Amino acid sequence: MLLLASIAMQAQMVKVTEHSLENGMKILIHEDHDVPNVALYLFFKVGSRNERPGATGISHFFEHMMFNGAKKYGPKQFDIQMEKAGGRNNAYTTRDVTVYTDWLPRTALELMFDMEADRIRDLSFDPKIVESERGVVSSERRMSVENNPFGTLYEQLFATAYIAHPYQWPVIGWASDIESWTMDDLKAHYRMGYAPNNCVVVVSGDVTPAEVLALAKKYLEPIPRQEPPPPVRTVEPPQLGERRVTIHRPANLPLLMTAFHIGSAKDPDFPVYEVIDTILAGGRSSRLYRRLVEKEQLVLNVGGGIQPSLDPGLFLFTFQVRSGRKPEEVEKSLYEELDRLAREPVPAEELQKVRNQILAEFYRQLKTISGKANLIGSYEVFYGGWNEINTAPQKIEKVTAADVQRVAAKIFSPRNRTVATLLPEQGAEVTK
Amino acid sequence: MKILPGVLLMTASFSLPAQVRLPEYSREQLPNGATLILLPKHDVPLISVRAVFRGGAEAEPQGLNGISGLTAELMRRGTEKRSAEQIDLDLDFLGATLSAGANRGSAFFAAEFLSKTAPEAMAILGEILARPSFPEEEVRKVLAHAADQVRAAKDNPAIAVGRYFNGFFFPPGHPYRHSGAPDEASLARMNREEILKYYRRMAAGKNLIFIAAGDFDPKQFAPLARAVAAALPAGDALPLPNATEVRAAAPRLLLVDKPDATQTYFRIGLPGIHRRHPDRIPLLVVNTLFGGRFTSLLNDALRVNAGLTYGANSLLDQDRLPGAIAINSFTPTATTAKAIDLALAVLGRLVREGVTQEQLDSARAYIKGNFPTERLETSDQICSVLADLELNGLDRSDIDTLFQKLDSLTLEQVNAAARRHFSGGNLQFCLVGNASAIQQEVAKYAKSMKVISVKDPGFFAPDF
Repeated sequence: MLLLASIAMQAQMVKVTEHSLENGMKILIHEDHDVPNVALYLFFKVGSRNERPGATGISHFFEHMMFNGAKKYGPKQFDIQMEKAGGRNNAYTTRDVTVYTDWLPRTALELMFDMEADRIRDLSFDPKIVESERGVVSSERRMSVENNPFGTLYEQLFATAYIAHPYQWPVIGWASDIESWTMDDLKAHYRMGYAPNNCVVVVSGDVTPAEVLALAKKYLEPIPRQEPPPPVRTVEPPQLGERRVTIHRPANLPLLMTAFHIGSAKDPDFPVYEVIDTILAGGRSSRLYRRLVEKEQLVLNVGGGIQPSLDPGLFLFTFQVRSGRKPEEVEKSLYEELDRLAREPVPAEELQKVRNQILAEFYRQLKTISGKANLIGSYEVFYGGWNEINTAPQKIEKVTAADVQRVAAKIFSPRNRTVATLLPEQGAEVTK
Repeated sequence: MKILPGVLLMTASFSLPAQVRLPEYSREQLPNGATLILLPKHDVPLISVRAVFRGGAEAEPQGLNGISGLTAELMRRGTEKRSAEQIDLDLDFLGATLSAGANRGSAFFAAEFLSKTAPEAMAILGEILARPSFPEEEVRKVLAHAADQVRAAKDNPAIAVGRYFNGFFFPPGHPYRHSGAPDEASLARMNREEILKYYRRMAAGKNLIFIAAGDFDPKQFAPLARAVAAALPAGDALPLPNATEVRAAAPRLLLVDKPDATQTYFRIGLPGIHRRHPDRIPLLVVNTLFGGRFTSLLNDALRVNAGLTYGANSLLDQDRLPGAIAINSFTPTATTAKAIDLALAVLGRLVREGVTQEQLDSARAYIKGNFPTERLETSDQICSVLADLELNGLDRSDIDTLFQKLDSLTLEQVNAAARRHFSGGNLQFCLVGNASAIQQEVAKYAKSMKVISVKDPGFFAPDF
């Protein structure tokens, strides 16, 4: 049997220089001189979990507003200056975090520190730009939700699986809220989320720790500390029975999604979730792919899985159901596989295969400076510290067949289950 | 998310590096005509391999569009020694990934595995390339799966608009008309015999480019790679069509009716260039400025200033045969004409006024600054670059002199290229949206207009 974990597992695979600025902002630096470029990632610990009804989606909207001008660099200047210096950027918002991702040639490093500091400290709020950006975000919602069967059902799944916790609303926000949040909502969100002490900065690439720290002290350290977002108090109560939601809309093929409540990224069982995820849906030899896609040909694909989260999350399964097949058939086979996982120990060889897959996937994340920046920041925010990266493979190694049975029995029960189904409405015309 | 990754066409002043270069590699011709390229790179303990067969959509027989991708998929579904299930299991056990597919110019296998597992992974790949068995049951499954994928694509207008555009922009008989993918009609004609016949023509040494990059010692790895690449018969090179320019006689508009759509997805095409076209480098600059980055003229007008869309960009095909230059965006149903008018105004202004020296400098820096992480950072990226060079008859100087060529461009050259390629062609409009709501107002764009339903089979309008 091939034991990949014995291969090239050095004491420390990812080396990071860590420094905390006086205002509480944390700087993590990883040197990699392979290409003359730098990935600069800023993780703000604010996401849709920090929102309230009526202003859902504001974290994501704010992510857009951060590109619309500050004191020193006015409207459009962030992108204009950055692209002119050979860089580009993007950003993403999740239920837990808002992350700004800058990719740049090393020659643009100081410019980026200057521009990031400017928008973190002195963002401007022009009412005209807010209105225009509202249109952009509405368009994004129409693209990713309303004109996308998968997005429509995904939103309904979360809204049904959570009844109390803020994970119930979509990151992009409900359409009505996008139309109606106010300037005051925006300003309050900025003050809450964009405190330097609520931010982790990761710099990965062709840099030295000394030059990065000098820039951080010059540009980022003077930003005053503020109150971070208040803790999210609501705890999702245990689910007491199966929940179902069915939606009807024009489509060629049905969709099925199921969700089971699990713990947060700091749950000691999180590595067990990862192993279960790979047993069930990692690669074409995984149990669900093998059975549902290949053997029974019930679905086109198997998606879902787990995501690290600050509060207890969901174990998801998503399926595009084949033509002529019924979501009920998929459910039956899925539940049989979940039951089997709780009933029978995973054979040693299969467990080893899964460990090999997870380790190889881990190396794939280390191929690029941006992959490493994202990994370092995610471990810092979700798993209790960047250095957890270097013990992650050992944690996977320690997961036993008994762990898998125990955890599967705990989470995959019918009463912990939410089922969302999209049924095609052939030929139905939508009138407005 | 601020922008959709991959939506903008990434191609790749301050003291940016004067020139980036491809790392050193070896290139040899094997006795069966296959080309073998090896490039050691030791940053992570992984090896990337590309087995690329010249052909792809360009070599597919009429009526069998999509057969090269399906043949590649079926090659990994059973060999003389291993069943499809066994291949999947063996690859997963190694932690390896393998994707098989096809595009306009090739059918390809892209594998990535841990360096210590090279002998096992290369043995599997060798069987897949030279000893596939095409089990009847797998053929049936793959064809049925592909038919449902066509249905799923039509549920998502953002995907569907690309396929409808190709089916409309490229004339009947053109290999790019079908996007290298199957449709309802071609799937009905395919069976094991056709697949096997195509495999025998495709899997020939004379079509094969075998590339490996990553964490290996060439002394140990070259014999493994040679054994795999040399196992195929020499065969004959697949005949490939000659370049013909795609130029429509008049403006046309295809409207694909999707009554439940709440926004209109549109693509507006002009005749484009091929990979070796002398205007390619100036056009990389023009396209970057027109619709190839966030601050581009199109995105600035439609998204940033007007808030009409989440994104507007332009696409510049760079394949072996001439392709399209296309404006690409989407907007709420009610603002369809407003958004298209604005996009056309931006296009008109580009042609009329050209770009400035400052814009040229900015685009140049942008391409150069992004090039290393877009194209040269990972072994996988380098395999893609090398495959692109080989398929287009280019060598490393194409990369090694790119920055110098960009630096030597003059404003006159760039604006002349913009005028040559962004004007004069008859615009071809492809729209997916709610036809009853927009049909009247979009009729003004072209006298020749056709409306089809998303429910009609295929991705094109017959006789149009």
